Order: sequence, then C-alpha cells, then structure tokens
Amino acid sequence: MSDKQLTDWRQHAQKLESEINKVVVGQQTPIRLITTAIFSRGHVLLEGDVGVGKTTLLRAFTRCIGGGYQRIEGTIDLMPNDLVYHTYLGEDGKPHVSPGPLLMSGENLSVFFFNEINRARPQVHSLLLRVMAERTLSAFNKEYHFPHMLVFADRNQVEKEETFEIPSAARDRFMMEIPIVVPDDNEIMESLIFDTKFHNVDALVNTIPADILQFDQLNDFSALIQTKIEATSTLRQYALNLWRATKTPSAYGVKVSGVDMNRLVLAGASPRGMSMMLRAARVNAWINNRDSVLPEDIHAVFHSTVAHRLVFSPVYEMRRTEIARDLLTGIVNAVAAP
Amino acid sequence: MNCQMNQLIKLINISLLSLILSTSFLANANDEPSPEIPEGIVKLSKINPDRNVGFLMGDIMNRTITLEVKKPYKLIETTLPIVGYEHRYKGQVSGIELRKINHTEKENRDTTTYVIQLAYQVFTTAPVVKPAILPAETVKFQGPPTEEAKDGLVQYTIPEFYFRISPMAVFGAVKIEEDMSPLRQPVLLQPYVEKQKLTAYLAVLGLSLLGLLYILGSRAWLPLMGRPFAQASRQLTKLSSKNPEDLKLALSRVHKALNTTAKYSVFSDNMDAFLSHTPSFKAIEAEIDQFFTLSHQVFFDTQISTSHDGNSLVWLKKFCKQCRDCERGLKPAKQKKA
Repeated sequence: MSDKQLTDWRQHAQKLESEINKVVVGQQTPIRLITTAIFSRGHVLLEGDVGVGKTTLLRAFTRCIGGGYQRIEGTIDLMPNDLVYHTYLGEDGKPHVSPGPLLMSGENLSVFFFNEINRARPQVHSLLLRVMAERTLSAFNKEYHFPHMLVFADRNQVEKEETFEIPSAARDRFMMEIPIVVPDDNEIMESLIFDTKFHNVDALVNTIPADILQFDQLNDFSALIQTKIEATSTLRQYALNLWRATKTPSAYGVKVSGVDMNRLVLAGASPRGMSMMLRAARVNAWINNRDSVLPEDIHAVFHSTVAHRLVFSPVYEMRRTEIARDLLTGIVNAVAAP
Repeated sequence: MNCQMNQLIKLINISLLSLILSTSFLANANDEPSPEIPEGIVKLSKINPDRNVGFLMGDIMNRTITLEVKKPYKLIETTLPIVGYEHRYKGQVSGIELRKINHTEKENRDTTTYVIQLAYQVFTTAPVVKPAILPAETVKFQGPPTEEAKDGLVQYTIPEFYFRISPMAVFGAVKIEEDMSPLRQPVLLQPYVEKQKLTAYLAVLGLSLLGLLYILGSRAWLPLMGRPFAQASRQLTKLSSKNPEDLKLALSRVHKALNTTAKYSVFSDNMDAFLSHTPSFKAIEAEIDQFFTLSHQVFFDTQISTSHDGNSLVWLKKFCKQCRDCERGLKPAKQKKA
C-alpha cells in the first residue's frame, strides 16, 4: 500500500510542479525546492530583489496546498500581538477582540505567509521562532496547535532601510532559504513583459487548480517518505563529512577568494539544519523515483538548506550571499563520495 | 807555391788511403774467423744471472764478463757485440736480443783487464718451458804475428749461458696439440678474477635495477604512468572478481581517479562541467553514465547493492582502461554494456 501511496503522491507532486511552472516561468529550481520543502514539512524563506515573483510563487503554492491560508505584511510597527489578535469597536459600540492571522484558521492553517519578514521587529521574529519550531501558540490562556502549518516568508536583501536582520536562531527554523533571481532566458524575459496573463497576478494565480494536495495528509505522508527512503552507510558518512566541512572548511582544503578561512566560520551547520537537509534529500530522492538517497540528492538541497544557517564573522556578513555560495560549492567539490 | 799545394794534396790522398785501408782491415777483423787466442793468454771470469729458470718474455738478463788479457794483446772494440743484434740458432731467430753493452778497460803491469757488461732481453715465450741460451760472443784481440795468425789477429769465445724460459700461460689453459702454429700470438693472461668480479657487480646492478623497477613501478616513473587512471588501472588488475568487496574497492579507485583528474569531486550532477574541462572524455560519456549508475547501485542503493556478479568488475576494469586512454589523448576502444 505504501508503495502505491508513494507513487500516487509523486504524481500529485509532479502535477503541482507542472501547474506552478505554467504560472511562474523560469523558476524550475525554486519550484522544485519549495515542493521538496512542502513534502519535508519545512518552512521556506525566499530571498530576492523586488518584483521578481516571490509573492506570486508563494501564493501559487498556497492555492495548491489547500487548507487555511493567512498572510501578514512585515512592517516596522508590527507587534507580536498583531499576529495573534486584533481589537476593534463593533457595531454595538463596544470593543471586540477577534483572532489574528495565526489563530483565524485554527488547526486548519496550512500556510502562513509572512511578506517582507525582515521589516518586522525582533519581537515578532521571536514569536515566530516558537510557532515555527513547535507549531503551537499560547494565547488567551489557551494552547493553540497548528499541526499542518508551513511558514512561507520572503525578504528583500537589497533594501536595508527600516529593516531588521533576521537572527541566526530564526533563520535556523527555516528549512530552506531559496534565492529567486530573474530568469536569464530572452524568451522568458520577453513573455514576462509582453504576455498579458502575467499582468494580473490574482487572475494568474486563480488559473491554478486549487487543492492539488490534501494539506491534512501531508504530515503523515511526509513521515512515510522519511521511513521508506533509505540512506546507506556510505551516504551517511558522506553527509557527516559535509557537516564537518561546514564547521572547519580549511581542514578539507576549501578556499574562498579574498577570505581568511580560519576566521570565516563562527558556527557551521546545526544538527537541526543537517537533519533538515537529509529530510529534504530523502524527498528529492522520492520525487526522482528512487528508494535510496544519493549524494546528488543532497547536492540538490545542500545550498538551500545549509547556506542560511552558517554563522560568519561579522566582517564577512556583508558579503554573506556570495561567500556562502562559494563556500558550499567548495565543500561539495572537496568532499568525495565514496 | 804550386809545388807545396801538390805535396799537400798527396798527403791528403795518402791519409784517405790509409783510412780506407784501416777500415777495411777492421771490417775484415769483424767478419772473418781468426785463430783462437793461445791458451793462457786470457783469464775469464763471469757473473751470470743468479738463476737459470723462470724467465718470462720481457725480462732483462744481465751478464758481466771480465777478461784479463796478457800484454801485448789488446781488445779490438769493434768486435764487441752490437746492441739490437738478433742471434739466430739454426737459422731461426732465437728471441734473445742484446739491449745494452758497456765495457771498461784497465791497464795492469802485465795484463789488461776488460770488464764487459751485457744486458739481454727475452722476446720469446712458449706454451711450455723452453730452453734458451744467452749466446756465445766472440771478440777479437790484436797480438804479435805468429805462424797461425800472421796478422796477429786472434779470437776468443765467451761461453754461452743456458737457461729456461717459462711459459706465460697457466698449465692446461692451452692445448698444445691444437696450438702448434709458429704464428701463434703470445698467450694472454686470463682475467678470471676480474671476470668473476664483473659478473658479480653486474648481478648486483641487475638486482638493484629490478628492485628499483619494483618500487617505482607502483609509482610514477614514466610520464604516462603517473596519471590517475594509469595508476587506477594497474591497481584494478590486482583485484579479483570473486571477492565482492573488491568491486567497491575498484569503484572507489575509479572515483578517486576521476576526482584527481578533475581536481574536484565528480558526481553525476556535475559531469557536464567535467566533460567541458576534459573534452577527451566525451568519447566515453555513455560509459561514464553507466559507471555512475553502477556506483550508485553498489554504494547507495539498499535494494540491489549485493546482487552484482563478477562481470561488473570486468566491465569496470575495461572502463578504467578506456579512461586511461582518454587521459592519454588516445581514442578509447568501445566495449559492450555490462
């Protein structure tokens, strides 16, 4: 039965990717990674310039997953309680309290979309830490559970005005940080400008069939993937070597241009990060119709699951994106399997 | 004046005539046999070599002859033996040559003492001990005219000295019955010891070279031998199809050779980069894909990793040789699929 489930769900995943690729063009790799994160039950942080389609992409996935969907915009005056409740004067002239975005859908909340997360204050990030890690929230003397919730967030790395850097503890809660870049293909770029279907985002997203996936079955199926897709001792050793290399890259002969490798890394990937990496790698193996994880499955998710977890010396933080990319590429090139 | 000139010319003519006559007389004195000197006139004493055996070709033999001659007999010096004269015995050159002669003359009251020092050199040898003589030398004296010697010339024969010439060959080294030619060249010394030493040195040199080949054979000692796939190919030939672990070892060796060639870890997902950097491997692109499939099955697939037979190793050895050809810039031979 489980083999049939794996096959059926694989078809769902392929349909999901196919539908979203019709709406968001030239982003096959991010779409594959987000699909992987959904089946790994991991939160996703999109990073990219303004107007590159981050929000459209997340809205499209949200429509496909089904379930409760809530969205909030990150602003400098956003406070944690704004995520939990809001107050207003009712028609009866009395103050009323209604559930905020986190509580509104109850346990059926499947996607919580945090737009421009780096504009929110650290207090908001702090609240989000618990919600992302434990999928619970205490409010009104009551514990709320969000077992199906995934947090999709995006941030603009270029604009630094009135923004707050997401602390490493919060970054570590995200399974993946996925860069979104404008596609370089001339045909795609031309269609983005001239094809009128891309002008109206709401209409565009509505063209996607809703509820391709059953949000309330994803947790169980994700557990099934993690059980069925195996990893041999050779692969485990390879993953361990990769982990060690993120901590002491110079010991593996990894070099990054213009960087003192002995001073670069303050903290390598966390155990949670490496665990998430392997969960994502298993899902990647499943999507590619394999029963076991290959090094190539790890490579497919290595950058997106590890790069944002590395803690660099402050002097290198300004070049974080570029250095993390070169460092992880160097690690993959340096560590052999078998 | 003319009369004086005529007398002078006469005088010169007479002198020349007397000179010619005396020369012809001396020549006659040397060549013609004369009567023996009367007994008791000459008293002979001689110092011969201190031994009469064991002389080899090239040896110098000294002989001192002392003749005490009663007056008025006087030695005619031109009858002394001449340096370089080769004595003959029965028409054959004897091989004994006078190298040096000195003589002194001492006047006594009634006698004259002549001391003649002769140095002979041996210029002959034989395969066996050969008898030889220092020849008898005949010298002449001028004495008063007698009935036998009207011109007063008498001769005295210095007795010969008998000795043995030793052969230069070791007994048995020459078969005389096969070597009777008189034209035979001198027998050379046989360098047995030197030959044995030379043989021993050559043997040591040969063993040293073999040892050097053995040591260097496993490393790079020719330009093409040190390349990664050349080394891997040599190591794979030592592996057996019967041992299942050898297939893993062989795959690891080929992986290592690929990584060394590329200078980074090569996986199936970065093969395009590898082929673009090392285009000589493009000829076996399909085989490289097949290699990665095999590697994945053996190292990472939990279902079929133990089901490989010996054919996989045979195929792998051929594949490694194909890679070796590629790294040498040769066109690799195609092989059937495993």
